[in-house]
Amino acid sequence: MSPTRRQFLAGSSAFMGAAALGLSPAALAQALREQGHPPTLVTIYLRGGADPLNAICPAGDPDYYKVRPTIAIPAKSDDANNPAVIPMTNLFGMHPAMKPLHKLYQDNRMAAIMNTGSTHPTRSHFDAQDFMERAAPGIKSVTEGWLNRYLTATQSNADRTLRAISLQPTLPRSLRGQYPVLAVPTGGADAAMNAFERMYSCDSNAEANQKNGLTMKEDSKPSDGDVPRVSGGAAVAPVERPEDDLNEYIAEKGEESIEKLRHLKGIVRGQGGGKYPNSRLARQLSDIAKVIKAGEGLEIAAIDYGGWDHHAYQGGNVGTMANMLTTLSEAIRAFHDDLGNHMDKTLVLVMSEFGRTVYENGNNGTDHGRGGFMMAVGGMVKGGNVYGKWTGLDKKNLVAGRDLPVHVDFRVVFAEALFSLFGFHADKEDFFPKYKSEDRPVGYLTPIANA
Amino acid sequence: MPNPTRKFYACLTLVLAMMVLSSAATAQATRPPDRGSGDGYDEGPELTIRERATHALNRMAFGARPGQVERVMEMGIENWMRQQLDPESIDDVYVDEYLAEKTPTLSMTNGELYREFRPPYTPYKNNPPTKAEREKRREEQQKRNRMEAQVEKQLRDSVLHRAVYSQRQFQEVIVAFWREHFSIDQQKGEVGLLANNWEEEVIRKYAFGKFEHLLMSSARHPAMLVYLDNIVSQKPLTESEQRMVDRFEDRENVPRSVRALRRQRGLNENYARELMELHTLGVDREYRQRDVTELSRVFTGWTARWTGNGQRQQGDYTFYFNENVHDTRNKLVLGSQLRGGGEDQGITVIRALAKHKYTADFIARKLCAYLLRDTPSEKLVKEIAGVFRKTKGDLPKVYEAIVFSDEFFYRQNHRVKFKTPFEYVVSALRATGAEVESYDRVDRALELMGQPTYRCPDPTGWYDQKEAWLDPGVLVYRWTFALDLAGNRISGVRVPDALLANLPVKELKEKMQKTVLPAGLNDRTSRIIDEELGRRPNAEQMLATMLGSPDFQQQ
Repeated sequence: MSPTRRQFLAGSSAFMGAAALGLSPAALAQALREQGHPPTLVTIYLRGGADPLNAICPAGDPDYYKVRPTIAIPAKSDDANNPAVIPMTNLFGMHPAMKPLHKLYQDNRMAAIMNTGSTHPTRSHFDAQDFMERAAPGIKSVTEGWLNRYLTATQSNADRTLRAISLQPTLPRSLRGQYPVLAVPTGGADAAMNAFERMYSCDSNAEANQKNGLTMKEDSKPSDGDVPRVSGGAAVAPVERPEDDLNEYIAEKGEESIEKLRHLKGIVRGQGGGKYPNSRLARQLSDIAKVIKAGEGLEIAAIDYGGWDHHAYQGGNVGTMANMLTTLSEAIRAFHDDLGNHMDKTLVLVMSEFGRTVYENGNNGTDHGRGGFMMAVGGMVKGGNVYGKWTGLDKKNLVAGRDLPVHVDFRVVFAEALFSLFGFHADKEDFFPKYKSEDRPVGYLTPIANA
Repeated sequence: MPNPTRKFYACLTLVLAMMVLSSAATAQATRPPDRGSGDGYDEGPELTIRERATHALNRMAFGARPGQVERVMEMGIENWMRQQLDPESIDDVYVDEYLAEKTPTLSMTNGELYREFRPPYTPYKNNPPTKAEREKRREEQQKRNRMEAQVEKQLRDSVLHRAVYSQRQFQEVIVAFWREHFSIDQQKGEVGLLANNWEEEVIRKYAFGKFEHLLMSSARHPAMLVYLDNIVSQKPLTESEQRMVDRFEDRENVPRSVRALRRQRGLNENYARELMELHTLGVDREYRQRDVTELSRVFTGWTARWTGNGQRQQGDYTFYFNENVHDTRNKLVLGSQLRGGGEDQGITVIRALAKHKYTADFIARKLCAYLLRDTPSEKLVKEIAGVFRKTKGDLPKVYEAIVFSDEFFYRQNHRVKFKTPFEYVVSALRATGAEVESYDRVDRALELMGQPTYRCPDPTGWYDQKEAWLDPGVLVYRWTFALDLAGNRISGVRVPDALLANLPVKELKEKMQKTVLPAGLNDRTSRIIDEELGRRPNAEQMLATMLGSPDFQQQ
């Protein structure tokens, strides 16, 4: 047991209880939830189809250098300006730009999963993202995100205001759905919230309607004699009108916005964040860390990192993709270090809609492919490992002679995350539509109850 | 109502209980006992003339401009509606001038756009290219990106400008509908360059024509061919061809015919699927995966190329039927045997889809939801689908049937739609009579609100139902926009001084309400305005409050 884990257990009575009483994963999650410190799943979605082979590079496979004559990352190098992969296994090494994550890999807190993806063969971004974020490949009638479905399936009256957040203008599709999740606007919101707080207060609305309703019963004059009712000149009797229902509903949503956003701002405004690099992703993760540390019951956070559609000028050990991998790795590392013990029950899951062509194209880039990769960082990760079934780069083992095959259904990875963190049985709950998994779990996580 | 929170139910139940208590006696006496769904009955009270005019302007326009409700009442609501149904009859000089001056790319052909905004790269002389060559290529690429961004911006500016200022408001409302129905995304590949011509030559050209023509032109425009990948869809290899490719896999000398086979990329089902799911029949109506695959074989070879020897110096970039990649084997689509192949096969299928009864249902329902309320009455949908079929998809007749239906002015359709961000922003600019010099910040606001124009990542287009937009957090952007607009803090946008003139509080409230919310204020909104602003009359604050109120989110 690592020192950090021991410290964490010492600091958490529920965790102690779990260990001593053999609490089920679900019971543990519930106990932690009640304390405001539930496990947290943070997904980072690399939009555009991130290239697996130049992130977790099969540098031990000679074919790798055949299929990528210009953009492959060298297996070995003595030249600091031409950095080589950082070894992970006999076969794989991580891109040198991912150096910040290597320490976590060595400490068994980071793992990669190769040949992940969808059972649906689409190579279209929007279909692939939709199918993945709704965890329903090929089923367009499913419109709610998988994370939102999880929140709905496990909701209770005790749910905290910030049970789930997405720190960007609109919700990623994985968080869209009936469960109310806050998409946070950037800056300047205080004045707006102050200005409209009363207008969007449901209590005062109900009160007002009640007042009007009762008045109407007695006589049909407006209740407030000295306040003129302005209704465009025509007196409309305030009886039941469909437009009033919508008006109420909007007011309710507005009230909810203010409540959640104020709460969030109160937390993230404070000092006490760790050291983060200067990037949007890092700022988002820094805010998420603050919410976790504040014990506000955060269970799900989803953020997007776009721009991975590298059809041209992808670059090799330096260049466009290398820079983005640096941004990604530095932000995750800073988040990990900032969270300290909290990282024992926080999982960062990095994913993308599909992989890219095994062969580089004529523009030093790669095109849309099939099999991709995922990365997991957290205390419950059985790290220091590259999971998934690797079937090589031989053309006959590729889909259509060009793409990595999908050996790990992303739903298997998702299901394991929900079980490990929350004790949630995705299979039992019929959580993934029209899906009965025959696949064994990847085994990349230890249920935190067993930690 | 789709999945409101429990808390909301609790809140609503209380309110409803109070309302039922108060109005049960009078209401039930005047209503038919079986109203339930509201089909065929006005749930009343009947709209006032002023409410009717406002409703017409909320449905057949992006809201009223200052004084417009009065003008419509004066000319007669029906007369105004009839005029709007015939956009050609309305003079639109101001918009025409703007387009000619500010957005000339809208009237260019694809060929012209490519020539002017996508100059060819300087070819590499060395292999591999030298560092200097790569650097130059990078600069050229950046320059291209900047130029293309200009083209994209012009399209978005034109969309906003027309929506705010066009006299042909109903045309803009309808064009906005088809723009989403046949959604394309500027961010996907070359769509950014092709979308300008698409807007003019597909959406605008046929929005007041026959549905079949609209569908056909959408299927053949390079923007759609690129957006839904049909341009790269090619007949799949036969088994013997595949064997041939495999046989030469590790050989040094590969015959040209085999190399050609290798390059073949195979079927892409993207367009065939969306054609049925999103453009015509509706999701999972009649067709199955097998039909999708078979139909995508029908459309192999529907691609685009340069006319005139493929030279970019002249000619246009338009539809081209490429026989070489077309699948000529028999197909079975929706139960019909299609023998052999050819371009006509696709044309026949599109015509059949355009007049399919499910298409009539699908389009009728979608239009009624757009023009009346999110869940229109089954009776009306049926009626309108009938008009669609009878007129063979004559769209103006369909629109006319909807807006002159008995139900159009029913109380249950009045202010029951939640404005999309686009509708919110446009209606706010119209209501205030704002003058817009630059749409950059407006465009940015739409992006923040989650509805950037012509950049919907899904082929579904932006939804117009409330469940797509009424997320917690969304309203905060609208309030910010309301405050900034009223305070003249949106650069490039100016609210006229006359609207911001301070008056005694009663007059100020009445004037502002008549301008911004001409159908009147919700009782609670009115009360809160009195409480908040009753003592210190402040025009800017009054305007911002009304623009940010729940009432102004409704239409």
